[in-house]
Amino acid sequence: MNPQSLTRRGLLWSVAAGGGCLALAGLPSVASGTDPKRSPLAPKVPHIPARAKRVIFLCMNGAPSHVDTFDYKPELALADGKTSSRPGRIPGAKLMASPWKFRQHGAAGLWISELFPEVARHADELCVIRSLHTDLPAHPEACLMLHTGSSQFIRPSLGAWILYGLGSETDDLPGFIALRPSGRNGGAQNFGSAFLPAACQATRIGSEGQPMAQARISNIKNPRLGTNAQRLQLDLVQAMNRDLVERERAHPGADGVIESFELAFRMQGRLPRVMDLTGESAEMRTLYGLDDPAAADFGHQCLLARRFIEAGVRFVELAQGDWDQHRGLRAGHLRNARAVDRPIAGLLADLRVRGLLDETLVVWGGEFGRTPHGQNADGRDHNNKGFAVWLAGGGVKPGIAYGQTDELGYEAVENPMHVHDLHATILHLLGLDHERLTHRHAGRDMRLTDVKGVVHTAILA
Amino acid sequence: MSVFSLSVRSALPLVVLLLAVPGRAQPFPAFDPERIFMQGDADLDGRLSLDEYREFLRRVPRMQEAGIEPFFRRSDADRDGFLSLAEYRRSFPSRPGGRRPAEPKSKPEAEVSGPVTPAQEQFFETKIRPVLAAHCGSCHSGMVEKPKGGLRLDTREGMRVGGDSGQVIVPGRPDESLLIRAIRHRDDELQMPPKQKLSDMVIADFEAWVKMGAPDPRTGPAAAPHATIDPAKAREFWSFRVPVKSAPPMVNRTAWPRGEIDSFLLAALEARGLSPVGDASRPRLLRRVTFDLTGLPPTLEELDAFLADDTPEAFAKTVDRLLASPRFGERWARHWLDVARYAESSGKTNFAYPQAWRYRDWAISSFNVDKPYDQFVREQIAGDLLPAADDRQRADQIIATGFLALGSKAHDAENRGQFLLDVVDDQIEATTRAFLGLTVACARCHDHKLDPVSQRDYYALSGIFRSTQTCSGTLAGVFPNFNASPLFELPAGANLPSAVPPLSSGQRTAMEERLATLVSERNAIPPGEANRDRVRRTDSMLSTLRLRLLVDRPGGTPRTFAMAVRERDEAVDSPLYVRGELEQPGAVVPRGLIGVFGDSASTPVTTGSGRRELAEWLASPSNPLTARVMVNRVWLHLFGRGLVPTPDNFGSAGVRPDHPELLDTLAVDFMQDGWSVKRLIRRIVLSHAYGLDSAHDPRNFEADPDNALVWRMSKRRLEAEAVRDTLLSVGGQLDVTPPVGSAVARMGEGLALFVRVEGLDDQDTHRSVYLPVVRDRVPEMFAMFDFADPSLVTGERATTTGPAQALYFMNGPLVIRQSGALAERVNAINADEAGRIAAACRLALARMPTSVERDRAVAFLREFSEQTKGADSQRGAWTAFCQALLSSAEFRYLD
Repeated sequence: MNPQSLTRRGLLWSVAAGGGCLALAGLPSVASGTDPKRSPLAPKVPHIPARAKRVIFLCMNGAPSHVDTFDYKPELALADGKTSSRPGRIPGAKLMASPWKFRQHGAAGLWISELFPEVARHADELCVIRSLHTDLPAHPEACLMLHTGSSQFIRPSLGAWILYGLGSETDDLPGFIALRPSGRNGGAQNFGSAFLPAACQATRIGSEGQPMAQARISNIKNPRLGTNAQRLQLDLVQAMNRDLVERERAHPGADGVIESFELAFRMQGRLPRVMDLTGESAEMRTLYGLDDPAAADFGHQCLLARRFIEAGVRFVELAQGDWDQHRGLRAGHLRNARAVDRPIAGLLADLRVRGLLDETLVVWGGEFGRTPHGQNADGRDHNNKGFAVWLAGGGVKPGIAYGQTDELGYEAVENPMHVHDLHATILHLLGLDHERLTHRHAGRDMRLTDVKGVVHTAILA
Repeated sequence: MSVFSLSVRSALPLVVLLLAVPGRAQPFPAFDPERIFMQGDADLDGRLSLDEYREFLRRVPRMQEAGIEPFFRRSDADRDGFLSLAEYRRSFPSRPGGRRPAEPKSKPEAEVSGPVTPAQEQFFETKIRPVLAAHCGSCHSGMVEKPKGGLRLDTREGMRVGGDSGQVIVPGRPDESLLIRAIRHRDDELQMPPKQKLSDMVIADFEAWVKMGAPDPRTGPAAAPHATIDPAKAREFWSFRVPVKSAPPMVNRTAWPRGEIDSFLLAALEARGLSPVGDASRPRLLRRVTFDLTGLPPTLEELDAFLADDTPEAFAKTVDRLLASPRFGERWARHWLDVARYAESSGKTNFAYPQAWRYRDWAISSFNVDKPYDQFVREQIAGDLLPAADDRQRADQIIATGFLALGSKAHDAENRGQFLLDVVDDQIEATTRAFLGLTVACARCHDHKLDPVSQRDYYALSGIFRSTQTCSGTLAGVFPNFNASPLFELPAGANLPSAVPPLSSGQRTAMEERLATLVSERNAIPPGEANRDRVRRTDSMLSTLRLRLLVDRPGGTPRTFAMAVRERDEAVDSPLYVRGELEQPGAVVPRGLIGVFGDSASTPVTTGSGRRELAEWLASPSNPLTARVMVNRVWLHLFGRGLVPTPDNFGSAGVRPDHPELLDTLAVDFMQDGWSVKRLIRRIVLSHAYGLDSAHDPRNFEADPDNALVWRMSKRRLEAEAVRDTLLSVGGQLDVTPPVGSAVARMGEGLALFVRVEGLDDQDTHRSVYLPVVRDRVPEMFAMFDFADPSLVTGERATTTGPAQALYFMNGPLVIRQSGALAERVNAINADEAGRIAAACRLALARMPTSVERDRAVAFLREFSEQTKGADSQRGAWTAFCQALLSSAEFRYLD
């Protein structure tokens, strides 16, 4: 038996639920179904050997242009200003060369644009996938697809599925945290648990437009009650809540409330400490770009992400936007890249030094890519047929570029990878079989990947 | 003079246009006279008085004081003592763009479709038409399902409008015409016909034809330029068909249904071999309906009265009482405000919208007086154009159009054209999503990918809104506002309250003195970049102070204004912007409605903007969507799930209705019942289904976990407003008097960054619907409980649960304070401990405690006060107990 299973969470829950021996009864695997008396966040054994234990998702809202960042297209540079008459292209639109130069980096010679000079130093850690594609070129739909695998129905978020599949490694922090989540393009639905237990949804810290340094979880301390008095009070609340669940025979909302109180009670002591960066050294702050005003905010997010991961949080999502440059691409992409480049490089370096990178999967990407042709003189439109994301750490092959778009960057042509495939592959890296990670709902065993999804084994280390 | 080189960012760009200097041609946006006009309109009423004009011109160097008034009088064509925007424009006729609203250059249709002479007709018929038919028709005509590049050359319309690449002919200019370029085969990228170049003689004929203005004698039905949409086929989609009433189906358990709604629901359950759960207990039902209709819990008296009344009419009487309560409108208007993306600031740079609250109050009052929904729709789109019995009604209808004016805006956009197009886009998005459940705004850059809405439809609607002036207010003198607009001054006869009190004569004098000081300070600032910020600060103070003085009426109530819309002086059609790009205006699209709806939407717009026609069509019983969408919104708020689960999307990306016949029957009944929202709600809540318990049932759950079939009442979490209002209410501290105005209104024009929003939940004891809504600054408590993003049309809010909410109940100041208040309240009751425990439970949860709960409470009170020994331990224990009640899942859920 895995000693990790004896977390306080598992014990506390079981005791609270009146089944003291349950926590000692061994770990159920994911497939063995859900025991309503057990915390949905109790650690579980993965389906297959896991290469990664946790995920940091660097979500680039608004869709960065692949042809200006990680998908080098020399043909596009040559075709600058020409109209493309290839089938499916918008007639009349003029191809636009990337304003940024590309160079090869690292031992593997990955092509990366000068927008990411710092990340490029870690080229040999990156697994760049240049053949992503998604269903629709509209932000809300594509954003929901990227997060939940469905743009039409309310479905659990990737992070919620992973937390559901693996449980939480921490008792006193949420297992899924979203920093400065956007309220747009699906909003909270991107981080929700849908039909999965409410405890699987993200705890959101901060909001779009609010500086990360100001974001905090409020009401973290009771002005009057000490821990014992508050525990006494909470026991009363939880007794009422359990009565309610009992009376109603099932009450997923109340289950979520029960879980949230236990977590909140423990978070009071822990969260402020984890979020307090004052103990970080000057070198560390520089490493993450905190002393560069242009990068400080995302740097703060990255540093927090590392601290959360260290503390056992399963899935942390960070957000940087807005990459949606229909016009003003030069200034906009430069600003965005500056904001994230050093922080991400710092994060990769720090995870490596701490020995965390091998078991932490870092995912960088947006909801789709942008068109090789220009728009509004200095912009690019949405492109869902081909775009790039990269993965690092967590059991992926480092220093490779996988898949290709056509010579201009319109469409994934070699090893095309749908977002469903990306999800399947991420789950696989975490030891979860996307076809077996299911939840019975509406008469079906629902999956993150619906009835689709292929694990791209070529990128596994 | 070099003033033309000043950018709009400069402190006094108005100078630029006031002097009738024949200057270099200005690009479209910077030259918009309205932008300059707003620099002079100090009171935001949309016209310049002589005083404003004088003040405005005084800032122009070398302007002769004596010349101002005569010039003003000459310009004031209607002699009403004010310069309207039109009069102002006309006063500078020599200026490029001075006569018409600044419009991007686009080809008027007349150039293409002028009268065709017999000779031209012969030329076309002999030299052009045969070639088109022989060489182009197989790809670019109605013969193919999807004409290549969206281009049809077999109709005059298709030839005129062009395809995806925009116009293909520029009459009179062969070299600029895409069609000519294509047939010349000189361009590698563009060669038509692709396989075989036409003969040089034919090419010469085409060049000659374009040169003569491309006269095209063809008549016949105008084909859609983007023939990818087949309207007849598209109209077969369920939501585009006119709803029809169905007879209620037969059921086995004939005693169960109380009406048609129940028959439809039960029949579907029986068809799957399922049956509904039992009825909710009476306290549970009362709590449910009281929250659903008013957003508040039942009082102890209401609970007693209802439980004591065992007549069959007891519930109906309760429903009628709740529908008649002013709290009803506050609850249901808030649902609508989510849909209307209501807020009191612009978002982004965040200018305050201090008049937005009037729209909020209009919505509350509309629901309270049960304004027929068709009228409710009409007023929001074209209230300013509707007949009114008196000034009060006129004012109300003007306020209603605030719907179109209060969307989020980038007031700091330097590109005026882009700003105007973005405002129109917001109006199209809000209008079509709110009333039709359609995402028409997707068609801004290309035909809709999923629904039968073409880009042409988008720009037909765009013309309607571009012919409409959006009066959102905001002062031009406050940096960085490059897109101020007037407000709509309301008729004084309406006697509407003002959010700002009248100035006393002392205050007035003080302000006038302050103004004079500021003016001299402003004049003393030396020009130059170094003093830019000082200039901006002073200008900002000057303009807000001026406004305050101008709005005040000495000895009377202050003038009242609304965010609203009005007709522009001249209606314009919008060009179709290729790929949505401002720099790519294509053919002009006549103003109109959405093509796929066919006859019901074919009213041609002849005079005016066309808003009136749009409003009538939206509110028409022949519109297949309007009633369905609203009925579905109402159902959603009463059952926790819409019959169509995607309330803002009735298109193909939406989810189909669970009970199509029921939805349609409700929609038809709704219209036939005078579009009465209150009676619709009444019908629904009096159904057997609404009164069902919310208990779990394994068999039903297995078959239908989402409860789409309504085998029970879904459990719903209270919204942010209901949580807060109830906390205040059980603590006895809720102030149900509607306040006049709002915190934003009291702050006035300027940046909304300075409005206090956090912490108000604890201090302002009015209902939550009256708290300020500032974009991008939603108070944390509201965000935590899933308040709708006020920049987006939101038919259904998310429901999250998480530790932040738990912390709010454990440690939040409002919860602690109201727990204390509730404790005091119940301890003031003359009863023993058990009686006081029961009272607390009834106030918080609208039910009696069970004996187990009572014993547990007694034990808790004893143990807690022992643990926290001290003078106050009893009170502390009671507060802790009350807080536990308020923190319970049961408090937060409607079961």
